[in-house]
Amino acid sequence: MSGSSSLLNWILWMPIIGAIGVLLIPKMKEEMVRYWSLINTSITFLLSILLYMRFDTTVAGMQAPFNVKIPWIEHFNIYYSLGVDGISLPMILLTGALFVICVLCSWTVKKAVKAYFALFLFLQSTIFGVFMALDFFLFYVYWEVMLIPMFFLIGVWGGEQKEYAAVKFFLYTFFGSILMLVGMIGLYFASANVPEIGVNTFDILALHGGYFSEMTVGLFGMELSFSKLFFIFMFIGFAIKVPIFPFHTWLPHAHVQAPTAISVILAGVLLKMGTYGFLRIAFPIFPEASVYFANMIAWLGLINIIYGALCAMAQTDVKRLIAYSSVSHMGFVMVGLAAMTVQGMNGAVLQMFNHGTSTAMLFLLIGILYERSHHRWIVRPDGTKGFGGLYTQLPKFSVVFVIAMFASMGLPGLSGFISEALIFLGIYQKFTTITVLALIGLLLGAAYLLWMFKRMFFGEVLEECKTYSDMNAREIAYMVPLCIAVIFFGIIPAPLLNIMKASVGNLVSLMSNF
Amino acid sequence: MILTYLANIGRYVPELLAVLTMIGLLFVDSTYDNEDKKKPMVYATAIIGLLSVLIALLFNWGDEPVAIFTGAMIVDPFSILMKIIIVLGTLGAIYLSSQSREIYWYLKSEFSIIAVGVMIGGMILVSANNFLMLYIGIETLSVLSYVLANFKKDDELSSEAGLKYVLYGGMASGVMLFGMSHIFGVLGTIQFSNVSVALASLSNTEIAILLPSFLMFFAGIGYKIAAVPFHMWSPDVYEGSPTPVTAFFSIVPKVAGIAVLMRVSLVFFGETGSTLQVGWVGLLSVVGALTMTLGNVSAINQRSVKRMLAYSSISHAGMMLMGILVLNEVGISAVLFYSIVYLFMTLVAFYIVTFVTDQYQNDHFERFSGLVYKHPLMAISMAIVMFSLAGIPPLSGFVAKFNILIALINDAHYTLAVIAVLNSVAALYYYLKIVRLMILKDSESSEPVSLFGFVNQSVIVAMVIPVLFFGIFWSKIISTTSNSILLVIQ
Repeated sequence: MSGSSSLLNWILWMPIIGAIGVLLIPKMKEEMVRYWSLINTSITFLLSILLYMRFDTTVAGMQAPFNVKIPWIEHFNIYYSLGVDGISLPMILLTGALFVICVLCSWTVKKAVKAYFALFLFLQSTIFGVFMALDFFLFYVYWEVMLIPMFFLIGVWGGEQKEYAAVKFFLYTFFGSILMLVGMIGLYFASANVPEIGVNTFDILALHGGYFSEMTVGLFGMELSFSKLFFIFMFIGFAIKVPIFPFHTWLPHAHVQAPTAISVILAGVLLKMGTYGFLRIAFPIFPEASVYFANMIAWLGLINIIYGALCAMAQTDVKRLIAYSSVSHMGFVMVGLAAMTVQGMNGAVLQMFNHGTSTAMLFLLIGILYERSHHRWIVRPDGTKGFGGLYTQLPKFSVVFVIAMFASMGLPGLSGFISEALIFLGIYQKFTTITVLALIGLLLGAAYLLWMFKRMFFGEVLEECKTYSDMNAREIAYMVPLCIAVIFFGIIPAPLLNIMKASVGNLVSLMSNF
Repeated sequence: MILTYLANIGRYVPELLAVLTMIGLLFVDSTYDNEDKKKPMVYATAIIGLLSVLIALLFNWGDEPVAIFTGAMIVDPFSILMKIIIVLGTLGAIYLSSQSREIYWYLKSEFSIIAVGVMIGGMILVSANNFLMLYIGIETLSVLSYVLANFKKDDELSSEAGLKYVLYGGMASGVMLFGMSHIFGVLGTIQFSNVSVALASLSNTEIAILLPSFLMFFAGIGYKIAAVPFHMWSPDVYEGSPTPVTAFFSIVPKVAGIAVLMRVSLVFFGETGSTLQVGWVGLLSVVGALTMTLGNVSAINQRSVKRMLAYSSISHAGMMLMGILVLNEVGISAVLFYSIVYLFMTLVAFYIVTFVTDQYQNDHFERFSGLVYKHPLMAISMAIVMFSLAGIPPLSGFVAKFNILIALINDAHYTLAVIAVLNSVAALYYYLKIVRLMILKDSESSEPVSLFGFVNQSVIVAMVIPVLFFGIFWSKIISTTSNSILLVIQ
């Protein structure tokens, strides 16, 4: 069907159409803005489902029927080039789904509603752009543009220290990507010297394959290996996004200060852009440098797991706790990627998706709670309890919370388990020590979540907690699909694994040559 | 002889029209007694005159590049494009001066006259093909600039700015003249094309003599573009001068200086491998890296927006030096692109700063807080320009930076490329400061900025459009700039 070729374009530009629509709606009609955004994101999500249905799971590379390639800047051989494969499709589906949910959860936003939803939809488009771009220049543009709506969404609609958090987030991620820009242009000029490529190009797929291992580059008077230096440049850019220790310091601030929906997007989708960058760019373009640094990445991932978990345990702010748990969980993804085995990689990509759903649930639940309590202290700074006995007061809320928590913990039968099990299977073949130590991280993960749960949901019912109302229909409406997803993919992960299998296998076999 | 001269005049129409405009302005200024009648006439003359210059330049566009007046000047696409930028910058500054309250009403026509004079100096400068023309151009530009800096006669800061500018400027042009006469003494010629030929056949001792003279020559141009370590005057002058003058200074003299430096570098040192070339590129690298870094680092802690923009324009000049030092077509194209984009970004930034400053009588950062609640369109325009100056895609500032990096990495200057990109992180910090105040903070007062009328807002939006447009659809622009030949006659 002819529709396939423009499907990616529709998914990518639908949110922009939505954002323009939001701007055209009169200022007074806030309700209309909300419904319009909901309809718009729903259409986008349906389109991404359509993409899933037309997706051919047997093809390893980019799916030719969906590819879009239009010359953009002919002078520099830059193309507007989009594509989708088994690694990007789960991310596109996740983005499509989470934005619908986040529109519902943003229903309570009161300040400058029009601007909020316009920026929010714009953000969605830029995220799709990152996951679809096959031209390095285009990828870079989307990667950076995303910072602008994010900056305003945190800075205007955030918590008390929103400005600090927004500026820190912006500067940190900008610093990370700016070195990537040098690497990108370096690749552009180096590609002409590769006989297999022959022209200066920004085409990511053409650059795949590890052609750059023999080249050198002079920097600050030193002669360095081209691929290792630029792998490090890309690594810094992606590592800040993931975030990998020691580049993680922006994350707790940004997560805590951001409004609920933005925290969900940050944890659910944005962090995955970092790991996606490794899968799409850093690993396949510099395979031999990746293999060279694999050990280091795995150890950093391990530090993430343990350090993130320990930090989470020490938090008294529940949102901060969840933020640090993200650091810990993204550590599993990094370790799985560094193993470069079939199970490890599959597990990592699956974990990217599963972490997206389970953390999104936790952040949404905390947002729901915050709307009632207007604070997030497990233990207040003065030492008294912030919450207590929520289980008896908010039964529906608590059930959902339990599901989310166990999914995040990796309890069998829920989604987190499958991906973590695959990761452990994968890394055991390569790093035995790290596997054992990472298991401790798993234990710590259970510890901080259960401890938090005990302090907040059990025990004596606090006087102020008695006034909280349970989840309303709107809140249930957006939590239930996530619950279903978490349980469904915990029991039957095959639909997701089938999508990614071929593409991940392709990447692993490329890496195994080095 | 006379016939060839007359034939050359055809290529010289834009400059002649500019001179006519200046004479016309003088005439109009002295004809009218009544200020209310005079003002519209002066602006009409200035705008019509400058537009005709622009049209004449566009007519010359696409002609074969030639040397005219026995090789004293060169008309090539590079110089025409630079002149277009200079004329547009002047036009922008003149409109701004007509709105600004900082330019006293009885001095408004003077501003136009002098600005057109500076513009003529700049046009001579970008076409100059021998040392004499270069010196005439740079002095025409400088002497009139001193007057502009001093425009608020009763204001202490402005007088200080003017005095500083004169003292530093006089010193710099003296040093430059000394360097140039030295070069003439050794090489026996003032013609650029002969200089490069003579340079090729020098002994090592003669090169050793020439090195300090080229250094002195560079000092003069470096002063005009405010390159480190000749930048000291610039923040004080920028802060002290009335804002429209500052806007003018950060475009016209700077762009003209960059253009002449580009031409001189390519004509003298275009030949690869010579000792002098290595020295010159080394000099430009060090100066450029220092200029970028110092400009950015100093901008971080400023309280005055004008001063911040002054330092940021220093760092942008450093960025353009990066495009010059590669000495090839890619560099020319990058510098041209950068200049075009820089023109629009700087104009928008200064327009908004002028209007806000006029309202509150000072230009501290805090005056911008909460602007989005009073003038959403203007706050968004300013934010776009700030992001563009910081080099965030998809805005044209990013594309300009990208082109400079392309030029650097094409020539394997990785170190400079890394320094350049790290600088843009520092730059982002202070540009964000103003965005943060405008959009994240609540406003101090609900008093709107009276100069943001419909017309002024439209003018600003019209200048923001290229900033947005050239960030995405820059295919045409880049093919234009990369085909803009800089004529080198050997």
